[in-house]
Amino acid sequence: MKNNPYQPLNAEIVDIIDESALIKTFVVTPDETFRFRTGQFVELTLPGEGEAPFTPSSSPADTEKMEFTIMKAGSVTSLLHNCDKGQKVGIRGPFGNGYPLDDFAGKDVYIVGGGVGLAPIRSLFLSLLDRIKDFNSVVCRFGAKTPKDFIYKDSLFGPWQKLDGVDMKLTADEADSNWEYNVGLVTNILSEDDVDIKNAVVVVCGPPIMMKFVTFQLVEFGFPDSAIYLSMEKNMSCGIGKCGHCMIGKYYVCKDGPVFTYDQIKAYPNIWD
Amino acid sequence: METVFISKLKPFLEEISKKSDLYIPVKKAEHWTFNRYNPDEIDEVEFNSIRTCLPVKEFSFPPRELAAAFPEPLEAKQIKPFAVFGLKECDLHSIEILDKVFYEGEFQDPFYIARREKMFIISGDCTQAGQSCFCNLFGGKGFADLGFDLNVSKIKDGFIITEGSQKGKRFIGDNPDLFADAPDTLLAQRDENRARVKKELEEKNADLKFTSKISEIIQGSQDSDVFDIEAQNCIECQACTRVCPTCHCFYLYDTKKPDYFAKMKMWDSCMRMAYAGVAGGANPRKVLGDRIKHRLLHKFVYFLERYGIDMCVGCGRCVDADAGGIDIREVLKKLDEEKKQKKTNQAEIAK
Repeated sequence: MKNNPYQPLNAEIVDIIDESALIKTFVVTPDETFRFRTGQFVELTLPGEGEAPFTPSSSPADTEKMEFTIMKAGSVTSLLHNCDKGQKVGIRGPFGNGYPLDDFAGKDVYIVGGGVGLAPIRSLFLSLLDRIKDFNSVVCRFGAKTPKDFIYKDSLFGPWQKLDGVDMKLTADEADSNWEYNVGLVTNILSEDDVDIKNAVVVVCGPPIMMKFVTFQLVEFGFPDSAIYLSMEKNMSCGIGKCGHCMIGKYYVCKDGPVFTYDQIKAYPNIWD
Repeated sequence: METVFISKLKPFLEEISKKSDLYIPVKKAEHWTFNRYNPDEIDEVEFNSIRTCLPVKEFSFPPRELAAAFPEPLEAKQIKPFAVFGLKECDLHSIEILDKVFYEGEFQDPFYIARREKMFIISGDCTQAGQSCFCNLFGGKGFADLGFDLNVSKIKDGFIITEGSQKGKRFIGDNPDLFADAPDTLLAQRDENRARVKKELEEKNADLKFTSKISEIIQGSQDSDVFDIEAQNCIECQACTRVCPTCHCFYLYDTKKPDYFAKMKMWDSCMRMAYAGVAGGANPRKVLGDRIKHRLLHKFVYFLERYGIDMCVGCGRCVDADAGGIDIREVLKKLDEEKKQKKTNQAEIAK
């Protein structure tokens, strides 16, 4: 059937990369060219089992394959973690708005991420690198529970530390003696002097509790609510603004989001839960 | 709009049923329900006084359907034309609301649209105000002006049929033997009935008069205890959302069929605990009172902001179905009363 938004495109898992104890990156090749904007999400189906929403962690410039970095958290993700290369899957989408990169041009881009929240951020980061001259600066503040819980270790602890135009700081809530970066929550490594608050946008993605306290701290620093971009994790299902599961107030996260500025959603109840 | 007269329903409906499947209202205990029409089973079709017990959304948005298949995509299913007789004004209003959702812009729902476009709508005037009817709160009056192919008005010795679409007009034109002229005296009878039902509705709901718009009442009462108090009576049966003709939440799930994998689309309910939960454990509406509040916010605030129309038609089905005794009319009254009280208190403090 043509134009059936519930019909996934057939795809295959061609590689699986272990990131941490609970997180793996799945490299997926769709049967047809699949384009998305960074920050948009797709519904990944394990045929016969279930479907869940994920934002690709790969660059949209790569139209041959996509990567999804997935934490084992629920039924579908647990089954995915048991899959091997060659597993057939389905993808629907892309859905939602994504990050408005053109609006970021000429500004300091301040990226605060935590845990598996680095997955969408990696896609954003790679997209920013492709046109790094368009931005005043790219300032990253990433955190994880322990050094082992960081994903993309090879990039983060290596080449991403030495990129021109990128200021990167890492922190672990708890560290061992080999850890050469900061220790403590990600809020501890945020500073009012990191970027020019009057000419900056902030992108926040991580567990709800981290996003909540980071947002409060950013507001205290003086960032306008409209400059704080939040990637909201809700129960997106249909992807097309109909089934109702992902509503935040009048918004469907799947259609109007998943990226919202804080001023759009702050008046609605229980946004961090 | 052309109007014609018939003395009996059966020949008219029998003609309809020759060209398409037909569903008619049948009385079961004190309720009306839709049944497939079989001319051999009944002598005469009854004219339903009020709307049916179950919502009409089932015809275009079935409780469960196949939405996708693997590895081969679904073939487009041919939907046969079908007709439904006995829809009321509130039902047409609910179809208008669902159309907004499923026909919306970029992502239309092909399954809804396929059925909707094959549906021939024969509505009927209400002949009384039902126990729980409060459609007048949303501009309802017991008869429809728009949204039907044909409309039937019961009068003393027969029925007035009004055309409402090209399809309806064509049906009348194609069957001249079925219809007689409707003289002004009969139209006057129809109008009298309509005025009587409208008045009945207004009298019945005379106490449903609010000092502010419903959207403002709900919007302004987000910190009210009323939702948690109502939740004490709610047994989470979800019947309110199932019988609601405008509730359209659904759930996509995957399953294995003998020779393919299927993605199914099934009615869901925002009153269900896990409805908004995510795999990580977060859930913005773990508390039942918050779910009741969200449902009303969606119906009267969010939907209105998005589509410019309330997502409630005042059919009262949820009132009839509610096992815990929650009555949306009473909830609105309580919230309005609280709002008034708040205003008075503020005014006194200001003094």
